[in-house]
Amino acid sequence: MATRLQFENNCEVGVFSKLTNAYCLVAIGGSENFYSAFESELADVIPIVKTSIGGTRIIGRLCAGNKNGLLVPHTTTDQELQHLRNSLPDQVVVQRIDERLSALGNCIACNDHVALAHTDLDKETEEIIADVLGVEVFRQTIAGNILVGSYCALSNRGGMVHPHTSVEDLDELSTLLQVPLVAGTVNRGSEVIAAGMTVNDWTSFCGSDTTATELSVIDSIFKLREAQPSSIVDEMRKSLIDTYV
Amino acid sequence: MPRRPSGRRLAKHQPLAFSPFMRSLAFASTARRELPHSKDCQCSEDISFDEKEKLPKLSKKQVDEQFGDDSDEEDSQGDVQADFEFFDPKATDFHGVKILLQNYLDDKEWDLSSFVDLILEQTTVGTVVKVADDADEAVFALVTALNMARYKDNKCFRELKEFLRKVCSEKNIVNDLEMLLEKKAQDVGLLVSQRVMNLPPQLLPPLYDGLFDEVSWATEDEPSEELRSSFRFKSYLLVTKIYKLKNPKQRKPRHGEEDIEDTIFLKPEDELFLELSSWSFTYPMRSQLVTSKEMKNYQLMGLVMAVDANKIPKFRQMLNSLID
Repeated sequence: MATRLQFENNCEVGVFSKLTNAYCLVAIGGSENFYSAFESELADVIPIVKTSIGGTRIIGRLCAGNKNGLLVPHTTTDQELQHLRNSLPDQVVVQRIDERLSALGNCIACNDHVALAHTDLDKETEEIIADVLGVEVFRQTIAGNILVGSYCALSNRGGMVHPHTSVEDLDELSTLLQVPLVAGTVNRGSEVIAAGMTVNDWTSFCGSDTTATELSVIDSIFKLREAQPSSIVDEMRKSLIDTYV
Repeated sequence: MPRRPSGRRLAKHQPLAFSPFMRSLAFASTARRELPHSKDCQCSEDISFDEKEKLPKLSKKQVDEQFGDDSDEEDSQGDVQADFEFFDPKATDFHGVKILLQNYLDDKEWDLSSFVDLILEQTTVGTVVKVADDADEAVFALVTALNMARYKDNKCFRELKEFLRKVCSEKNIVNDLEMLLEKKAQDVGLLVSQRVMNLPPQLLPPLYDGLFDEVSWATEDEPSEELRSSFRFKSYLLVTKIYKLKNPKQRKPRHGEEDIEDTIFLKPEDELFLELSSWSFTYPMRSQLVTSKEMKNYQLMGLVMAVDANKIPKFRQMLNSLID
């Protein structure tokens, strides 16, 4: 089920946190309400790590990761890197990369199998993503925006993209990513999906301005309810089937 | 949007702005400013209008401000043309207004979204300032007056009152505050005024004139007697921010150095309001605004004051002469 929360009166929870299937990162300096919301959902399942990156709190937008690894930008300090390596499970590889586009969370959208990357990322970075995160990397744009990490929230079960994405683009991306996609908004009409929410395979956290309609779309596309897939998923099914054998 | 203090002697600062227009506006140093055009007629019957049409003859609330004659946006030292327009609040302004009110109650977590909704629902009294032909529809300034009793059942107002009671540390004012919040709430208007830091001061007289005019028209034009009387404010409550010198009297001005001001007002009209207020108190704020190094000796303080409604005409006069 999706949970609504705020970070210091700010509804952009995807900026101050990063959620994957193996761990959860949260920014320091928020109130206890913020952490307790995460803890009540995740405490026994995955570790919740409080950290900063490069001394800032916008960790969700600076790093990219999944259950296999975590990529942090060159601005990450040695202490922060060590803290992350110590706190995260051993199977998660933490790698600091030297990439000019240092807001990795804005440039890379990934789940455990596939990643979308900013078109201008270095070739080495693309190789490191494929290596560390164990994913197939596709350079794409979303509704004409190159910041794929900002305008797409992705899990292994579904994804949500910028509301102005055309139907053709949705089909194409859905085929690439092999998950159902929906074009939607979060936080009362905000187009920056990944800044307004964070999601993994069984739970999601959205800003408290998110309307009930937006929340129900999130619940259904990411399959957070136990119920049967809704009509949204049924419509997408056509694009999921590549070939009949 | 990050806010900067518009103290009197700040050096030219680096602008932090997200839209090309805001960047050029922030870069503009000394703009030669013309006096505002006189306001067009204000039709009190039909206050709401479509902002996409600029109807010069029929426009209800429209003030054009034109700055300088050089509209070259690449010249970072040049003047910037800006046409500001005043609008009634409407629901789509939600995100812009919310950003302006982010620090309204310091770092307290409260129902800011419903507070913004209340402001936007009250279309008869309240003004939102935007730039003409701006696709983003960014909100540059907001001013409104909310009756304390009318909204007292809303969670956001309860949280606001609780916050004010908590931060009031001066014992002799606590009773006055309590009166305004509870017993006399029916006659008290919460005057909310927030804007981006570098907004030209020429906009202030028409902005405040507009607000107080709307309040007096509302006392005649509102559909029900209850609503009409809810705008007959006897006093206004203001919650705002100032910078106070951290260690006064410790720094003697050396030869060649200018006088250090005790208090820096982020909004010039706050100084006038403070002068005319019946009481006021300050409280230290935990959140910090983005500042320059000249401000390192100053502490951001919240300022709460009450101004009697009968002092408003004097305020309007003082504001007009201050800006001119």
